[in-house]
Amino acid sequence: MTTELTPELVTPDTTGPAELEGMDKYRFGWADSDVAGAAAKRGLSEAVVRDISAKKSEPEWMLELRLKALKMFGRKPMPDWGSDLTGIDFDNIKYFVRSTEKQAATWDDLPADIKETYDRLGIPEAEKQRLVSGVAAQYESEVVYHQIREDLQEKGVIFVDTDTALREHADLFREYFGTVIPAGDNKFAALNSAVWSGGSFIYVPKGVHVDIPLQAYFRINTENMGQFERTLIIADEDSYIHYVEGCTAPIYQSDSLHSAVVEIIVKKNARVRYTTIQNWSNNVYNLVTKRATAAEGATMEWIDGNIGSKVTMKYPAVYLMGEHAKGETLSIAMAGEGQHQDAGAKMVHAAPYTASSIVSKSIARGGGRTSYRGLIQVLEGAHHSASTVRCDALLVDTISRSDTYPYNDIREDDVVMGHEATVSRVSEEQLFYLMSRGMAEDEAMAMIVRGFIEPVARELPMEYALELNRLIELQMEGAVG
Amino acid sequence: MTAVDETTDPNPTDPVTETPANGARAHSHGAGTVPDASRAERVTSYDVADFAVPRGREEEWKFSPLKVLAPLFAEAAADADETAHVEVSGPDAVEHRTGTPAEIGAGAGFRPGDRAAAASWAATTQAHLVRIPAEAELDAPVLVTVRGEAGRTTSGHLLIEAGHHSKGLVVLDHVGGGAHRGGVEVRVGDGAQVTVVSLQEWDDDAIHVGQHDVLVGRDAFARHIAVSLGGKAVRISANLRYAGPGGDAQLLGVYFADAAQHLEHRQFVDHEATNCKSYVEYKGALQGEGAHAVWIGDVLIRAAAEGTETYELNRNLLLTDGARADSVPNLEIETGEIVGAGHASATGRFDDEQLFYLQSRGMPEADARRLVVRGFFADIIGRIGLPDLAERLMATIETELAATMPGAHDALQAVATGTSTTTQTTTEEN
Repeated sequence: MTTELTPELVTPDTTGPAELEGMDKYRFGWADSDVAGAAAKRGLSEAVVRDISAKKSEPEWMLELRLKALKMFGRKPMPDWGSDLTGIDFDNIKYFVRSTEKQAATWDDLPADIKETYDRLGIPEAEKQRLVSGVAAQYESEVVYHQIREDLQEKGVIFVDTDTALREHADLFREYFGTVIPAGDNKFAALNSAVWSGGSFIYVPKGVHVDIPLQAYFRINTENMGQFERTLIIADEDSYIHYVEGCTAPIYQSDSLHSAVVEIIVKKNARVRYTTIQNWSNNVYNLVTKRATAAEGATMEWIDGNIGSKVTMKYPAVYLMGEHAKGETLSIAMAGEGQHQDAGAKMVHAAPYTASSIVSKSIARGGGRTSYRGLIQVLEGAHHSASTVRCDALLVDTISRSDTYPYNDIREDDVVMGHEATVSRVSEEQLFYLMSRGMAEDEAMAMIVRGFIEPVARELPMEYALELNRLIELQMEGAVG
Repeated sequence: MTAVDETTDPNPTDPVTETPANGARAHSHGAGTVPDASRAERVTSYDVADFAVPRGREEEWKFSPLKVLAPLFAEAAADADETAHVEVSGPDAVEHRTGTPAEIGAGAGFRPGDRAAAASWAATTQAHLVRIPAEAELDAPVLVTVRGEAGRTTSGHLLIEAGHHSKGLVVLDHVGGGAHRGGVEVRVGDGAQVTVVSLQEWDDDAIHVGQHDVLVGRDAFARHIAVSLGGKAVRISANLRYAGPGGDAQLLGVYFADAAQHLEHRQFVDHEATNCKSYVEYKGALQGEGAHAVWIGDVLIRAAAEGTETYELNRNLLLTDGARADSVPNLEIETGEIVGAGHASATGRFDDEQLFYLQSRGMPEADARRLVVRGFFADIIGRIGLPDLAERLMATIETELAATMPGAHDALQAVATGTSTTTQTTTEEN
């Protein structure tokens, strides 16, 4: 099958027949450094990777890493579990899109349903314009954050995009890049390592508490971030940071691939919280590798909301490497028609006295499918470890589907590990009660769903919690009947 | 026990007539990029060739010691005699016949789900039928003993048919050494109430891969209890299906894994009929270097299975370092019209509070530990419904336990006599 894979912000007319001819074109014409041409090329080859690296004027070691990763990508098999990924056509993807193209994007290029989403979210027309010029909006956001950044800079906090980090903080970058998620970790991590572009680089020095969450809203539309963003966060000893990423960013116009890699290093007694609410449009394959290492006394928290995308496969992981390290994941997934949210969490206990907790809430409706897939591993020597997993799924109709695949691998006697899951449906009594109080059925349904996800929503910053609720209401509309 | 001429009644129709809901379907694994959309898509076939020899990367084999189990994946040579030594005894009302699987009408409720099961099916020349006639209520259990011999590989198939509205208990005991692969097919007629107990009391060097398929008739009750204590590597797959609405079934199990022992239990509960209940509970203890327990509990609720109620539970007690427990409760649900679905898995060590309570009453720690282990297992073993057997199994468990707790007090025997009660009541008796 041929699937149109157009990266963000590409207007349809850039996908002319000249670009569709495929790989042959690259062999003969790719080395050419023409920027616009590079943006329009499809498919992956060594030349593409070399070109990306050259355009960014990267050091030799990064190019070598990319080329090595490209080889691994070719060798690694596609996962034979999880979602159906046969719709991905790697030869049809544009792996690197330069910013010149983004200028071509206008509000009118957005598909009608995405426009409608924004209308119903109540984003005023002016804001819409900002959002779509997309890029401009991003720049404006950056200015806002820049102010914060200056404030933080005095304390030594680094918050830049990953490409800038490679240029300006080369030593720090090289010390940590690829140490948590090596290029060969899985097929999509290898792909990302080969063609990554954009993302955030954060360094929080010892003892610094960043009180206001760092928001990555802007980066979603920033140039060169592409679909393969790469984020690296280093929280030095006794520091704290909350990073919020991506809220609603329905950008893509046709089947696309988003394959990010996020590496987080949480040093002794530091704490990192990473919040994502992804609402990709329903034709994005969202295949993301996220992993953190937590040193002695450190705490890593993932808050992971999956509302959009066609297919999501994402299992944020915490490797508990030091005594008394803690890992926590709150995961919420909502799947509607045509969606498969295969999400979950991984906790690897590699040191004594470590604790982990996973709470997963999922809602399937309209024929959608939610799967919780998780791993709890307690390695030998990780005595006095404790782990709890709680999965709740809500089915609101009879055509949807919910799965739970929790793997528990315990190799130490002195541990406490518990896993529990329930799957329930919205009961007639609940609905009847609310409707008897004058609520319409879909309103009542939305209220029940809101109540169901409340334990996760309350962990979000206010504006994100509100937005999550709105998104869920939108999803629930018309779910009844 | 009535011996029945093998030629009579070749076409038993009494208990359950059904079409395998989960028949072999064309399913290509060649492309490798389309994952099975549900557990039901896993291949089942009577043809050994449909299953490659496992290599260890396969989802369904990744926890198993394949080198140890290798003899059970081999196809039987044409002239090999793999007939297992089987003894059957029971009340007069029960019919017992032997013959080829076809002759005794086996297969309607059984489809091999892995290479060992298919190879066993192909190699079985003498299968056994145990039939409880319709409306019969057995006053004593049917005992089936499979005796393995060191140096031999044996294959076999046991078909247990319970006629409609019958009641009975069948105890299948595996003893001896060698390598054994065996299929057990249980067809529970409408309204019948049947318990099947499978004991794995093998010698230390035995290996065993078994598949037990249970098909539950309309409004019937079925209980399958696996007790795995012996053997070097044992893997029992219990599959549960419903032939009609209103069925109620339990898959229960206990296991005690020692040093270098691999005990693996897999269940697949396939809900396709409406208003059926299933309950899965497996409890295990592990001790010693290289003790490995694997529990995989798959439950699928198909779109048609409205009104389903299901729960799965696995508990592991790790008694020493060096042991490993894998526990995977998988749940796939294709309809929201269900009564409830849930699962729980917990792995831990002794409950300190229980130990403390017992010690505060003057009991030495080693005794207290034994008592806690006894209580841990008593609940399920008690449900076998045979006090003598329960006590024998408890004694075996305590002998194994003594290996790590040599200080155990003799007086404990007096404390823990003849009970098959829960922890709570056992505690109160002290």
